[in-house]
Amino acid sequence: MTKVTSAIERTDAQIVKALHPLVKEWFFSKFKEFSITQRYGVPAIWERKNILISAPTGGTKTLTAFLSILNYLIILAEKNELENRVYCVYTSPLKALSNDIHKNLIEPLEQIETLAKTKNINLQKIRVGLRTGDTTVAEKAKMAKSPPHIMITTPESLAIMLTSKKFVEHLQMVEFCIVDEIHALDNKRGTYLSITLERLNEVSKIFPVKIGLSATISPLEEVAKFLVGISEEREVEIAEVPLRKKIDVQVLSPSDNLIEDINIQNDIYGLIDSLIQEHQTTLVFTNTRAATERVVAHLKDKFPTIYGDDNIAAHHGSLSKSHRFDIEERLRDGKLKAVVCSTSLELGIDIGYIDLVIMLGSPKSSARALQRLGRAGHKLHEVAKGRFIVNDREDLVECSIIQKEMMEKKINKIQIPKNALDVLAQQIYGMAIYKQWNIEEILELIKKSYCYYELSKNDFYDIISYLAGEYALEKSSVYGKIWYDPETKMIGKRGKLARVIYLTNIGTIPEESFITVKLAGGGEEQKIGVIDESFLERMKRGDVFVLGGSKYEYGYVRGMNLYVRSALHRNPTIPSWFSEQLPLSFDTANEINRFRLLIKEKFDKKNKKEETIKFIKEHLYVQDGTANAIYNFYYEQHKFSEIPTSKKIIIEQYKGEKNYLLFNSMYGRRVNDALSRALGYLMGQAGGRDIELGVTDSGFYIAGESLKIEKAIKFLNSKNLREVLVEAIEKTDLLARRFRHCATRSLMIIRTYKGYSKTVGKQQMKSHFLMAAVKKVSKNFPILNEARREVLEDVLDIENTKKVLDLIKSNEIEIEIKQVKLPSPFTLNLILQGHSDLIKIEDKQKFLKRMHELHMKVIGEE
Amino acid sequence: MKYGFIGKCLFFPQKGILVIGDLHLGYEYMLRETGSLIPATQFKQTKDDLSNIFELIRKKGYKVKKVIFLGDIKHFFGYNKSEKNLFVELNALIGKYVSEKNIIALKGNHEKIAEIADKKLVNYYIEEDTAFIHGDIEIKEAFDKKIKYIVMGHLHPAIILRDSQNIKAEKYKCFLIGKYKTKEVIILPSFLPLVEGTSLNEHLSDNNCIIPKKILKNFYVHIIGNNKMYKFGSLKKLIKE
Repeated sequence: MTKVTSAIERTDAQIVKALHPLVKEWFFSKFKEFSITQRYGVPAIWERKNILISAPTGGTKTLTAFLSILNYLIILAEKNELENRVYCVYTSPLKALSNDIHKNLIEPLEQIETLAKTKNINLQKIRVGLRTGDTTVAEKAKMAKSPPHIMITTPESLAIMLTSKKFVEHLQMVEFCIVDEIHALDNKRGTYLSITLERLNEVSKIFPVKIGLSATISPLEEVAKFLVGISEEREVEIAEVPLRKKIDVQVLSPSDNLIEDINIQNDIYGLIDSLIQEHQTTLVFTNTRAATERVVAHLKDKFPTIYGDDNIAAHHGSLSKSHRFDIEERLRDGKLKAVVCSTSLELGIDIGYIDLVIMLGSPKSSARALQRLGRAGHKLHEVAKGRFIVNDREDLVECSIIQKEMMEKKINKIQIPKNALDVLAQQIYGMAIYKQWNIEEILELIKKSYCYYELSKNDFYDIISYLAGEYALEKSSVYGKIWYDPETKMIGKRGKLARVIYLTNIGTIPEESFITVKLAGGGEEQKIGVIDESFLERMKRGDVFVLGGSKYEYGYVRGMNLYVRSALHRNPTIPSWFSEQLPLSFDTANEINRFRLLIKEKFDKKNKKEETIKFIKEHLYVQDGTANAIYNFYYEQHKFSEIPTSKKIIIEQYKGEKNYLLFNSMYGRRVNDALSRALGYLMGQAGGRDIELGVTDSGFYIAGESLKIEKAIKFLNSKNLREVLVEAIEKTDLLARRFRHCATRSLMIIRTYKGYSKTVGKQQMKSHFLMAAVKKVSKNFPILNEARREVLEDVLDIENTKKVLDLIKSNEIEIEIKQVKLPSPFTLNLILQGHSDLIKIEDKQKFLKRMHELHMKVIGEE
Repeated sequence: MKYGFIGKCLFFPQKGILVIGDLHLGYEYMLRETGSLIPATQFKQTKDDLSNIFELIRKKGYKVKKVIFLGDIKHFFGYNKSEKNLFVELNALIGKYVSEKNIIALKGNHEKIAEIADKKLVNYYIEEDTAFIHGDIEIKEAFDKKIKYIVMGHLHPAIILRDSQNIKAEKYKCFLIGKYKTKEVIILPSFLPLVEGTSLNEHLSDNNCIIPKKILKNFYVHIIGNNKMYKFGSLKKLIKE
C-alpha cells in the first residue's frame, strides 16, 4: 500500500538555499517572505517528493507548485541544458485556466527572463504551451515539433496526448505532474484522471513527481492516494496548511418570525440589498441556476435606481462561455457591485477582490461553504467575510450547524467513484489505440490507480469482452472496438476510425439538454426559464411545478419548449429540486442529529428556557435571534410529539389526502432516497399496490393503499440492501438516464461519428433500445451494471445507508411509529415538496379488474 | 343489426361487418417531430392488433365480409407520403380477408381531401338500419326514420381509473353506448395503440362532437380489458365532482 506521511514546514533559509539567484531576486522583489503554503510545498517539490497540498483559496498554491519547477528549468536554461521535451504537465479540470496560470507562471517567467537580460545572463527560452479541446490542429502540429517545457492541459487533453505515439516521445521524461483543483474531481472525471495518470507513469522512464493542489478537503489521506496511485513503492506527503485565514461568518434571518411573516421574500431582498450596499463587491451564492436568475431579476425590479446591467450580473453554467468570461472580467476589474452565481464560481477562477460572500440558503456541506467563503478577501491574510441568509427554519438550523462545522474545521468527506466500468472501457480503448498490449500488463497498470485497485478480475474481463465485441450487439450497431487474442493474450485497436472515434467522443461529463418553459396563450409568448430535460421526462399534463419561485401547470410540449399555465392555487405535484438541488452531506446531517439530541435532553430535563437558549448560542456560535428561532422551532416539535434524534427515527402515520408514512430521518437526501426506495419497494411487493415516494434531506414519505411498514423494516438490513435496491431501481427513469450516460462514456453510443453529432434526444432513444437489447443478452451486462452502480453509489448513498441500517439492527437507533392527526412541524415540508418517484407494482389489467369490482359495489350491479 | 365487441372493434356477425375506429396513422412521426421520444413501433403494433382481431373472428367461426374505417385514418392534416404508404400496407393486410371494394373508408376531420392512396373516402355509409359516420358533423341521412343504430368514432373515448390514494392512475379505452335523438349510438374507441384517448370522466367537453356533453353523461361505459369487457355503468357515475 502507498505510504502517506505529513509534510514538514521549513524555514525561509532552507528554501532560499535551493533557489537560483535570479529566481531568488525575482521572488523577493515581489514578496516579503514565503507563505506558509510555500514553506510546506516548495522544498518538498525541489526534493522530488510527491505531495498533496491542501490550503484555503488564495493560499498561493499555484505559485508554490511552480516555483521549484521554474527554479529547476532556469538552472537548466542557464547551463544551456534544456532539452526538447516536456518537463512538467499541469492539469486542471477548469476550462478557464488562463488567468491563474498567467499570474502564477507566465508573468513570473517573463519577469525572470527580463531580469536575466538586465544582468546579461543568457537563458534558453522556456516554452509554456496550452493544450485543451480548443487547440487548433496547426498549434498541435507546432507543439509536436517543438514541445512546450511546461504543458498546461485538461485531464481529457492529457489522455488524448497519451494515445499519440509521436507526442508520447516528448512525454517520456516528464519530471513533474501537477494536478490542480483535486477537490473538484470527486466524480467520474476524477476516476478517469486516475487512470490517465497511470498511463503517464507507464510511458515515463522515470516516475513523474506528483503535486496535488486542493482546497480544504477531507479525507486527505485518500485524496493523496488518489494522486499517486496504489503501490508498495510509492510515497506521498500531505501538507495540510493550517487555516490561518480568519473567518467572519454569521447566520442572518430575514425576519424574526420565519413562520408567520408573509413578506419573507421581500425581507430577503431587502437584506441582500443592504449587505451589498455596505460592501464594495459582493458575491451571492444560490444553489440553483433558476434561483440565480431570480435573485438578479428581483433586485433590479425592486431597486431599479440601484441595480442595472452595468453593476449586477448572474453567472451560471447555462450561460454562454463568452458571456461568462465577460462577467468574470468585469468582476476582476471591479466594475460590478454584485454577482449572483450558482456553483459556477466556486472553483478557483481568479475573480479579483470580493469583500463579502452571501450564501442564500444552505450550501449543504461544510466543504462547499468553505469553498464559497474562500472567494472572499482573496489574499491569505485578510478576513474572509461570509453571511448565510436563510429561507425557513430548517434552513436556519442547517446553516447554523454548517457554520459550527466551519468554525470547528469539521470538513465533510468526499468520495471519488471507484471501479467505474464505463470509464474503464473508454480508457482501455484509448490504450489500445496507442499500442498493442498484453492483457496482464493492462490490468497491472489499471490496478495501480486508486480508483481501481480493488477492481475484480471478472469485471475487468467483462469489459474486455464488451470491447472485443463478444456480446454480439452488432444488431444494435454496437461494434467491437478492440481485438483480443486469448492465446497470445494480446489486445489492440480495431477499425481504421478508432482514433477519430476516440478523439471525438472522449470525456465523462454527460450531455443534458434544456427545455425552455414558456407561458401558453394570452398573446405574446413569455419565456419563464429553462428546466432540465430529465425534469420534463417525469412530468405529465396537469402536473404543477415550481420555477423561479412561482407555480406553473404543465400544458403541452412543442419541440424543445414546454408551455405552461400559471397555477397560483394548486400545490406542486413535482418537487422543484428534482434535478438541481444539492444534497445535504451525511456528515452535516449527523451533526444536526446530534444537536437535536442535545436539545431534546434539555427539554426532557425541563431546563429553563434561558439556559437552553444560552446553550444554543454557545454551541452554534449564533446570535440571540437565531438561537430564539431555533429554540421555538424545536420546542414546537417537542410539544407536538417528540424531537427525532441521532438515537431515534420517528415515523408519523398520517391520513391526509393519502395514507402517509412520514419518516423523520435526518440523513441527507442521498441516504433517504435509498431508504425510501428500498422500504417502498418491499411494501409495494408485500401489498401488491403502487407506492408513492417523496424525499428531502431531513426525511421521506411513503404513501399507498397498503403499507406494512413493520415487516419491511424488519426485513431490510445492510446485507440485503443492495439486492433490494437493484430490484427497486430496475424500472426507474433514473436508471434509464444513467444508462444513457454510461453507454455514452463507454462508447456504446457514439455521440459524434464522421462529423455528425447525435442530439441528446437521439442518444436517449438509442439508449432506450440498447438497454432492452443488453438486458436480453445478459442481465449483468457490464455497462448496465455500471449504471446500477452509479445510481446506488453516486446518486444514492448505499454505503452510509448500510451504516444507518446497522445502527437500527443493533438498536442504537430506535424506531417509533406514531399515529398523528396532523404532520409535525418537522415533517410539514415533506408533503408540500411533492413526490419524487412512484414504484409501479400492480399490473394494469389486475388494477382494472379490482377497480371494476369496487366501482360496481359503489353503484350497485346494473 | 346485432353487434358485438371484438377488442377495440365492433363486429356485426350476421353481415360480417368489422368496424375500426380512428387509426391516426403517422401519429408517432408527429410526436417525434415535436421532440417526444417514442420508439417507432406503433405501426407494427397496429398491424399486429388488426391481425389478432381477424384471427379472433375466425376462431369464433365467423367471416369478415366487409371492413369499415370510421375516419381519421391518417393523422397529418396535410398530405404526407409516409402516411399514404402506411395505408397502402394496411390495405394489403386487410386485402387478405376481404376484397378491395368491401373496404369502406369514411372521411374524418383529419382528412382534408376525400381520398387516400387512390381510395375514395365517403362521408357516411348505411347498411340496413345502421348508419356509420365519423362523428364530427351531423349527417342528415344518419337521422333518417329507418335508421336505428348510429356507429361513430372521433371522440376517442377513454376512462381514467384512480386508486383510493390518488397514486395509481391508469387510462383505458372504452366504448360508449347510449340514446341520442331516438337512435342507439355506439361510439368506438380509437384504434391507434400509442394513446388511449380522451379521459371522459376527467376531461369531458363538447369538443365538436355531435352529441352534447349532458347527453353523453348518460351513455354507458364499456372498458376494454385484455380478454374481457368491463361494464362500468353510466359515464356520470365515473365523473368525480
